[in-house]
Amino acid sequence: MSNINGKVYAMNAITPMKPWKTWILRGFFFLLGHIKPLQQDLINLSFIEFARWVVLPRRQFPFLGNGQAEEELQYDYLLFFSNFNGTWNQYIDAFSAVLSKGLNLVWRWSEKFPGSVPVTSFKEYIARVQFDTDYYYTAYPHAAANDLKSAHVVQASFDKLAASAQNYTPEQFEDAYLRFVLEVQTHLGETGEAPIVF
Amino acid sequence: MSRLNETDIQGFVLRGYNLPVARYLFLHFEDAERARSLIGRLLHHVTTGQRWDGGKPQSTVNIAFTQRGLAALNLPDATLLSFPVEFQQGMKKRAGILGDSGLNSPERWDELWRGDLVHAWLGINAQSAAILDSRYAEMLELMRETGGATVLASQDAAAVVIDGKSTTREHFGFTDGFGNPDYLGVDRSSQPGQGKRMPNGSWAPLATGELLLGYADEAGELPVAPVPHILASNGTFMVYRKLHQNVATFRSYLDEYAALYGGGKEKLAAKFIGRWRDGTPLDLSPDNPDSSIAQDPNRSTNFTYGADAEGTRCPVGAHIRRVHPRDAFGFSGRLINRRRITRRGLPYGPFVAEGGPASDSEERGVIFMALNASISRQFEFVQQQWIEYGNDAHQGNDKDILMGNHGGRGKFVVQGDASRANPPLICSKLPNFVELRGGDYFFLPSITALGMIAMNLVDPR
Repeated sequence: MSNINGKVYAMNAITPMKPWKTWILRGFFFLLGHIKPLQQDLINLSFIEFARWVVLPRRQFPFLGNGQAEEELQYDYLLFFSNFNGTWNQYIDAFSAVLSKGLNLVWRWSEKFPGSVPVTSFKEYIARVQFDTDYYYTAYPHAAANDLKSAHVVQASFDKLAASAQNYTPEQFEDAYLRFVLEVQTHLGETGEAPIVF
Repeated sequence: MSRLNETDIQGFVLRGYNLPVARYLFLHFEDAERARSLIGRLLHHVTTGQRWDGGKPQSTVNIAFTQRGLAALNLPDATLLSFPVEFQQGMKKRAGILGDSGLNSPERWDELWRGDLVHAWLGINAQSAAILDSRYAEMLELMRETGGATVLASQDAAAVVIDGKSTTREHFGFTDGFGNPDYLGVDRSSQPGQGKRMPNGSWAPLATGELLLGYADEAGELPVAPVPHILASNGTFMVYRKLHQNVATFRSYLDEYAALYGGGKEKLAAKFIGRWRDGTPLDLSPDNPDSSIAQDPNRSTNFTYGADAEGTRCPVGAHIRRVHPRDAFGFSGRLINRRRITRRGLPYGPFVAEGGPASDSEERGVIFMALNASISRQFEFVQQQWIEYGNDAHQGNDKDILMGNHGGRGKFVVQGDASRANPPLICSKLPNFVELRGGDYFFLPSITALGMIAMNLVDPR
């Protein structure tokens, strides 16, 4: 029962939207999906492993039939789900600092959304609509997304060196080893414990 | 924004005094009423931010309080409880968050800081040792007359003197003091590269609320501050850390790895820090120190890392790139604008020139004093995320080479290229070049607030 597993934090937020506004949001998501540069800021925040917004229409909630009372929901819902490295504060600070316009376009259709700037009212809003995580599995609790990406670079480069090194003369190996080091030199951070949350 | 009310702000906040000697007194209050009368008498001595149009003063006096100090002055509970939680806890209790463990853990601190007796910091800066002594005597006399405080300990600090001249060098031999930010409304000769990066590539001052309570910060909000507002406004928070420098260890480690490094010893030293020892930024001059850059205010801080993503000029983990990443995280630097601190302070202990007999055990280091509107958002974030951890810099758990609490297990990668003069190098088994000997969090009030405290007029609402 924790939102945190090692270096990763899982955030779920659910916000109600008046149904007529949902169509505007769908239009924005359509644009976002088809215009790649619009996504770039989100992708460039390297501590975000994953972020997704999904519209949950009010008539498509699961209805299991017998025994479940039928509900007449007044609102559609927007589910936001994200996994990121670092603290909750750090994440929302960064969102507010560099993505405020994009976030406002996504969330302004939700009820009582105060805007992503100033950050304190935005944090209060997220805290109010956030659902805590019941169960959280992560394969590499001691690694951040950056660590995993780096590990792939090091492994690929090392495999390449290993595959060709068999036939090298010492001079050729020296040259190939230098090229290997230059390929991996910005990807050698240690993995380990996450800092204490504050 | 118009000019700040400089006469209401302690001068220590608005400017680095650039006076060569200092003595920091740590006070304990035994009786609230007598302590208040001392503060009332001190009011006439405290140096404000008023411009020095008539020339630099011979000496300055400033004062700041710990949470325990404010409690000992009998501030109302409603006020004490409204301070940010990290200030209420004090630095010792934040050791886990700050990574102050092992060699840096509180049980290894100087006796003064292991206890909980420090109530106030009284800082005296002066033009000369004689002037310092006489101002110090004056302060002791005030304390004697009022019976307001006892001096638990004092800490002397002084600019390093080389060939008879005061310098801005620290004990490892590097020129220090380039990094302080500009703030809106603070009257200061500003340099390009010291404020925040703008999308068009220019530099602008940071919002006043990153330094002072009571003003809008970079998020457009007032910083978290105690009540009443008038107690907080024009005040700030100060982090005091006594950082011991293991000069012998630093020199022998540098020699050991310089023997393995094709770029030469001075270049390797520069790679650790991101500046050559004379202050020339590696990103502007990767092959040689260049005093024409280091001494030119228009160039010495005017650079970015965007064109050096691989760190082949300035390593990704170099100290100045870690603690002030400029545009290194993209978004033209917007991710760092709320993480900046203002540094004051001076070295302490005798300087030993390169080749001289330096040992780790001699008292020698730097008194690190950082000013910020929010200790948790600014100093603590930098200390935890950028010094003791490396994810923002894509360095995993690697720590800052210079300041990191490595405990002999650290690693630092010098990124290089295919040339012989700039090869890659991995420095491993990093020792602690710097060790923490103690310190605490202080509130540095405005002149108005000092008056309110002295007159016992602090009402929470």
